[in-house]
Amino acid sequence: MTDKPEHLPERLALLADINAAKFLSTGVLSGHEAPPYIALNKITDPVDAKGVRTEVVPIRDLIDDVMHLFRDDARTKADAWLAPRLHAALRLSRREASDSRLWSFLALAVAPDYVVWRHLPTKGRNGLPPMVAASRFSGAHYTQAFSRLWWAAELFRDGSDYGPVQVACGNQDVLNTVLRLDIIDHRPTAQALIRLVAKETVTTGREVNALAVVTNAAASTLMYDVLAEDEEWDGGAFDAWVEEADSAPPVPRKVLPTGPDDGPVPLAAIDALAGRFEELFKDARVRGRTEVTDQLGDD
Amino acid sequence: MKVYPYKRITGEIGLEVTSVRQEREGFYQHDLETWAFSTQERVVALHQVERDDWESVRLGVTAILPGKEIAEGPWTDISVIAVLTEKATNSRTTARLERVAGKDGSWTGHLRFWRSAYRSRADLSVVAVATVDGVRGRMIGRAEEPWIVDLTARTPVRQREMIINQVDFTSGPEWLRPFRDAPWLVETSGDLPTVHLNAGFEGVSELLDSSGGPLERAVRDMLAAQIATDVWTAVFHSAVSDLEVDEHGNPQWPGGWRDAVLRGMLADVLPDHSEADALREIDARRREGSGWNELQPRINYAAGRRAKVAKNLGTAIRTLDTSQRESRA
Repeated sequence: MTDKPEHLPERLALLADINAAKFLSTGVLSGHEAPPYIALNKITDPVDAKGVRTEVVPIRDLIDDVMHLFRDDARTKADAWLAPRLHAALRLSRREASDSRLWSFLALAVAPDYVVWRHLPTKGRNGLPPMVAASRFSGAHYTQAFSRLWWAAELFRDGSDYGPVQVACGNQDVLNTVLRLDIIDHRPTAQALIRLVAKETVTTGREVNALAVVTNAAASTLMYDVLAEDEEWDGGAFDAWVEEADSAPPVPRKVLPTGPDDGPVPLAAIDALAGRFEELFKDARVRGRTEVTDQLGDD
Repeated sequence: MKVYPYKRITGEIGLEVTSVRQEREGFYQHDLETWAFSTQERVVALHQVERDDWESVRLGVTAILPGKEIAEGPWTDISVIAVLTEKATNSRTTARLERVAGKDGSWTGHLRFWRSAYRSRADLSVVAVATVDGVRGRMIGRAEEPWIVDLTARTPVRQREMIINQVDFTSGPEWLRPFRDAPWLVETSGDLPTVHLNAGFEGVSELLDSSGGPLERAVRDMLAAQIATDVWTAVFHSAVSDLEVDEHGNPQWPGGWRDAVLRGMLADVLPDHSEADALREIDARRREGSGWNELQPRINYAAGRRAKVAKNLGTAIRTLDTSQRESRA
């Protein structure tokens, strides 16, 4: 199995997709070989950011900790622990986080061992050994091993409160389905969806998918921004949080970190949508869900 | 066409950006000159305008709704919302516009967005929302033509198809060195496809910049067409292989340049299919592999058409003919 890189780069960097692709050999994907670190670190581009935010060690420490803490658990459980902490440690703006080259760099040059540890399937396909999907190393924002966690944290946090992120990442179907939806770019919508998961109104994968389908479909005729108005985003407070990175202590391991104080989502807005989503969900015909519907009726 | 279970506005909704103000809190507010945004192109260009350390921008937005239809229609509680979105950053910023007193159907307001939340190109639209048949929050119309807010462009131009990067492959970035004997290389992973043009390959740059005699121009255009064919082939394959599928397994239009590439080229690659069918078909063929090889000549053909290979070749042959005739005479 892939080990921690023997040579860690000091600073975060960018690895272009075209370059990432050539290192995604069968050996790397199956965890039998480590990426060629020296060659790889030669062809990266530096990040624009400066200071503590660009240091690799704090991120690598988090990876070591998560692999140790969840060594005996189902690997999926690690997501809820790592997502808020990765977000709080990196302190990236969305502008920076939308650069897929950063995520490819983390996956290949900093923590390929984590990607294999977390995403190696138990069985291979077509007679091949088990292999991590290449998109976990270099791929879409909701698929790549690290960017999916960062974006889940960014899109599901309630201002500085990472509580809803834990809920979202505690359910793989939320990460796999809801994270792809454009409707969660509206903060009250994201919070309302997570509330139904937190209340266990929806639990199984099938239910989460049904909720995603009905709320997404309703958004083609209803404008959630009007039904549940959000406050204007405090970009200044967010930028300040990013700038404070240099003086911030390491991310806490035992308690949840505190996120950027860019304003909580208005409670009335979440209430309005959560009620609405619950109704939509009850109306939805979920295949093979009759029993569950009956139980809901009894509550 | 999509059918809605309620009445929507049939008239056109107009959208204009009337002012652009750059801000840095506690330092300055600065109204941009009109050259930074173009009503013609419907683009706001924000890269390196005036100051490079701006934090946020306030866009003055005006929407024109069909006043008579609004007054007579079944809608109550109408609101008009300006919406700025960008796929790459999952960012969405909205602002409520206010009715302009005394001007029928005219709504205006400001939308403020932060630089740190956007990356390259965001879409600006307006949506009209109302209560219809007792249902609140129905979208009853949106602007026909959205604007583009471009954080990377120096001038407000809508069509940007590729980036041309002139670089010497032998002394440039390490990863280009293995390709040092290639005159150009196409990269499709970024926000826009990029052509790395090898400045170390003697004569290529000069040839492409040349405006000499007819023969030289003919060769230049042939070369440009060949590069363009490469680009179109590469971007098509890249767009097809990046397709996302929804929960029912249907491929989704990818947005951005990939969208434009697919819509344009699929008409030539799978000419007997509707746009949506063609997308499903191409996705299925690539996934399952059957019929994928057979499509290659068609993809090549579509790329060649877009690169105007036939036209350029025709012109080159005619130019050769003429010059031979002249030299014989």
